[in-house]
Amino acid sequence: MAGTMTVASKELRDQFGSRRFLILFGLIVVLGGLSAYQGVDFIRNNVGSSFVYIFSGARMSFSFIQIMVFFGPILGLALGFDAVNKERINGTLSMVLGQPIYRDSVINGKFIAGAVALTILAFSTIAIMCGITIPMLGFAPILEEALKIVALTLLTTVYLLLWLSLGILYSTVFKKTSTSILFSIATWMTFSIVITILAMALSSALVPLPAGDFRGTPVAPGGQGSQGGQRFTISPEYMEAMQERQALQTAIQRLSPTQLYQSTASAILGISSFGFGRQEFAKATTLGEALANNWANIAALAAVMVVAFAASYMMFLRTEIRPGD
Amino acid sequence: MENIVETQKLTKAYGDFVAVNELDMEVKRGEVFGFLGPNGAGKTTTLLMLMGLSVPTKGTAIVAGHDIVEESREVRTVASILPEYSSLYGDLTAWENLDYIGKLNDQPKEERENRIAEMLDIVGMSKWADSKLESFSRGMKQRVGIASALMKNPQIVFLDEPTIGLDPVATKEIRELVLKLNREKGLTVVLASHLLHEVQVTCNKIGIINRGKLILLESMENLNRVMSGGEDRRVEFMLTETTPDLVKDLEAVKGVKSVTQENGRLLVYGSMDSDLDVSKTIVSHGAYILMMKPREHTLEEIFMKYYNQEVAG
Repeated sequence: MAGTMTVASKELRDQFGSRRFLILFGLIVVLGGLSAYQGVDFIRNNVGSSFVYIFSGARMSFSFIQIMVFFGPILGLALGFDAVNKERINGTLSMVLGQPIYRDSVINGKFIAGAVALTILAFSTIAIMCGITIPMLGFAPILEEALKIVALTLLTTVYLLLWLSLGILYSTVFKKTSTSILFSIATWMTFSIVITILAMALSSALVPLPAGDFRGTPVAPGGQGSQGGQRFTISPEYMEAMQERQALQTAIQRLSPTQLYQSTASAILGISSFGFGRQEFAKATTLGEALANNWANIAALAAVMVVAFAASYMMFLRTEIRPGD
Repeated sequence: MENIVETQKLTKAYGDFVAVNELDMEVKRGEVFGFLGPNGAGKTTTLLMLMGLSVPTKGTAIVAGHDIVEESREVRTVASILPEYSSLYGDLTAWENLDYIGKLNDQPKEERENRIAEMLDIVGMSKWADSKLESFSRGMKQRVGIASALMKNPQIVFLDEPTIGLDPVATKEIRELVLKLNREKGLTVVLASHLLHEVQVTCNKIGIINRGKLILLESMENLNRVMSGGEDRRVEFMLTETTPDLVKDLEAVKGVKSVTQENGRLLVYGSMDSDLDVSKTIVSHGAYILMMKPREHTLEEIFMKYYNQEVAG
């Protein structure tokens, strides 16, 4: 354990001294602060709104969740992608492992340091957002809202640790940092952007919409449901196909941790998100209901994190130290 | 003297490539052992196995009484390695690097700080304790590297090509430092190198390894005897004059096996008993002996002899 904590404290010091981490940390705090400010504006304009809406920005702007969806993977991967292979390249791995410590102390220490750094980041960003908005709004969150904020913080931490684990896995699998950073970027793009495009393409291909199901009937200009003097109706078959397509798209997107995080965090806050810059407010749910409806998402996020770290742990223990390591 | 390193058929294979092949060797406590071989011979792989960092494919080894596989952590408590290339953190100061190693060895703060100060003093780096390693020359980095290897107060230290890339002055300083540590601290040193001269002037026993196989294990003292095939030796003479008749008569002396001339000097190869008759023969030819000294085989000659035998199969 002494070895683990020694490695962890050195790594933690390196993290907080690295420009890479500090720039991302600063960026997230600034963006979080701006989104909180927009949330305050929204709450002021909608009397009776929940305090947690500070995390949802405004109707047509970015929210804390969207910041995390976008930057969370970059942060986690940035802290992990060169954790092991950099030591190998610099020749320090054989020096560290040449000391009387258990081999897993190194990988455990690195994970603990990354986890502490990301936990501090998640807690401090949310604390700063609350700290800015409470004086502006003139009221603090009630107990249920405070619990929701804590749940959001914990969920965000698990989400960030998932990306950290993936980064450490890549740094264990690949000998070159250039390869592990490429895989990190590819993973981030796949789960953040590509999967949405893929889900749309696949669902469109697999669930074709019935042809000619928009029926236009003339109505008086300005009448309800009118556009250019015509009322559009949608046939039940068309509607059913649209819903099926949407369900398939959502199911495919659920393969992405970013989607799992986004939908779970949105449920906790009581909002429905549709990607960067688009969101709607859903029916308010209690924290208990949100957790009950989304426990599978939370379990999936935690499972991916554990599996990725377990894989890197096993690989690291079996790694052969060779001349030059 | 007891053995501090003992290997038995120690073997390491990476797939089909056998890096170390059934290595049997012993290093005695207090020795400076030269592990000599060309690049890629298997020296570093052997050192990594002896440190418990690489698991042998076959065979066993004991280091300071500990099995390298079953008790690898204990091995790493009493043994240190200085890898070929800088193995310390460039963004940390010399003091911080040593402090980290002390912490990994679970040394209490006070003991650790005293040890760091002592080690930096021994390697002559106290003045640069608070400078970052990235600003050091390679020689300075090697000095701190040696200090880092000594932090745990090891019984044995494995130095892998410690002078590679160093200028002659730094090379000499590192060599003297190794000998000082051996002499004053009784430290056993295993020095892996492909530099024949370095091994010759530093070590008192050598093992020559090639293509993973140990082809010679001998003390430097015995090497010349081994090379000469027993009690024979070469004696170098510098004379006032050398004539063909003198060479002919010397070849006829009992016990003399050959007489050659090299750079104006006479090399007489034969048994030790022949020295008196050789001297008498020289004087009888009216020549004076200006200098007479036994000429040892250079390590290069020894290495090439065994290397060529091994290559020839």
